Amino acid sequence: MGASALDTVFITETPEGIALPLRPAGMMARSFAYLIDALLRVAILIAAASVLGAMSRFGTGLFMILTFGLEWLYPVVFELMPTAATPGKRAMGLRVVMDSGLPVTPAAALVRNLLRAADFLPVGYALGLLMLLVRPDFKRLGDLAAGTLVVHATSAHLDGPLPSAEPAPPARPLSTREQAAIVAWAGRATRLTPERLDELAALAGPVTVQAVGGSPTARLARVAQWLVGRR
Amino acid sequence: MTPLQFEADYAPMWDELDAALAHVEAGRKMWSVSWRKRAAPLGEAPDSARLAKLYRAACEQLALARSRAYPARLTNRLESLTQRAHQLIYRRSDYGAARLARLFLLDFPQAVRDHWRHVLVASLVFGLPLVLLGIATYVDPGFILTMHDARTVQGYEHMYGPAAEAIGRERNAQTDWMMFGFYIMNNISIAFKCFAGGIFLGVGSLFFLAYNGIAAGSLAGYLTARGHGETFYSFVVTHGAFELTAIVLAGAAGLRLGQALLAPGRRTRRAALELAAREAAVLVYGVIAMLLIAAALEAFWSSARWIAPAVKFGVGGVCWALVIAYLAGQGRARSAVGRGAP
Repeated sequence: MGASALDTVFITETPEGIALPLRPAGMMARSFAYLIDALLRVAILIAAASVLGAMSRFGTGLFMILTFGLEWLYPVVFELMPTAATPGKRAMGLRVVMDSGLPVTPAAALVRNLLRAADFLPVGYALGLLMLLVRPDFKRLGDLAAGTLVVHATSAHLDGPLPSAEPAPPARPLSTREQAAIVAWAGRATRLTPERLDELAALAGPVTVQAVGGSPTARLARVAQWLVGRR
Repeated sequence: MTPLQFEADYAPMWDELDAALAHVEAGRKMWSVSWRKRAAPLGEAPDSARLAKLYRAACEQLALARSRAYPARLTNRLESLTQRAHQLIYRRSDYGAARLARLFLLDFPQAVRDHWRHVLVASLVFGLPLVLLGIATYVDPGFILTMHDARTVQGYEHMYGPAAEAIGRERNAQTDWMMFGFYIMNNISIAFKCFAGGIFLGVGSLFFLAYNGIAAGSLAGYLTARGHGETFYSFVVTHGAFELTAIVLAGAAGLRLGQALLAPGRRTRRAALELAAREAAVLVYGVIAMLLIAAALEAFWSSARWIAPAVKFGVGGVCWALVIAYLAGQGRARSAVGRGAP
């Protein structure tokens, strides 16, 4: 498909032979998720410091254990929960999955988060960010080794219901691709401005029956209704 | 068949699948949020055979809808249904205590033996600098200043010297806890870096192994030369059994990653790396457990100066023997093993 060159959709196949589209998340979404997590971790540490600070050296020990846990285990634990996302990722609508689209396994969650140390190099996650920029599937080193993807949990559904119109047959038989294009056009009627919709419909003018009359949009909408099976 | 007809025919099945998925998902979510509050009635649990059947039907219908270029709204619905069902149906569920026991009784020691070449290389890269620098600093104690700055050396000397009973019994439980936290934070992080560095063709692991070998060796040589040998060795012998081994194993896991990239064999580099990471993860689980044991020993046992060095050497020797026997013998097929191994 021509769209695949522009699109970052990651196609994975189920054992049933169905291609499942996953939508990997890019640098900005993941950076924001990281920042939210970082703020959260700092907030927890500050809160803990004020409580544990009163407990002298015992508190210092717990504080260091907490620091370690937040640094290394926080993402592992959260990614193994059913939501498969740290609070930051969740806030950004992201989720961690295996390349197969399945929930992330404990080993994969551990590997991808330990390799953060490698992605961090030389400073400030520079290597990880570079990987996100050059790879179409937005995998950093940890994702490559673990075989994981960070994907958008929900994909936006752009197509709405078709505009209502009296069905009318097209002027000539249409190929499957032509039919798909017309139905897709009609599905976007609610998102496009009427002028743009008209402009696009005018391109398909020849397939509508001229005698019916009305604007190009109105005529093509009737063809679309006919194509989805209304008679 | 037109899209409308298609939808009219199959929509009841999709609704049923949707409801069944929602039911299972709600159950899982409630379990994760609070397993005690599972009082809300969920209705009857969907039959798993029926669920699988609906899922397969939805897969077929999705393939049809795609090949016939049906409206995107229709395929989108089928896509999201099949995706949710796929997640639930192929979810691995064999986690838990039994899996954990299997990990430490079989998988981890077996993985160590399967990767004996990596373990050997990691041991040499860690051990040789340790011994060589140890001897070098013993012969010329001034040599340590190339590794550590003077203030650090003074600190160490203060810790292990007889003058100040710094790690002696003056240390109370509070300090023990503080050091426990410090050892967890510091040592496990070192091991994680030894592992993560492996992704750079193994170079990072080699570097961290050698670096830590040099640091530890020069310190040991220096303290021995200064006559604090007994304090120092009695301090490190017990937890060293776990800590040094764990560092070496973490490095070996990192080398496994590096090897996959350097010599992927018949796989693509990426597939080799993914396989290596799966194998290495087993080693890393073991490393984490060993370092937790090491940190506890280091904080609460090694530092206790009221225990006579002879006792510490004895216990330390037993620990070394246990660790080596565990890694070498645990989880072997019964017939291949002598009576000695558990």
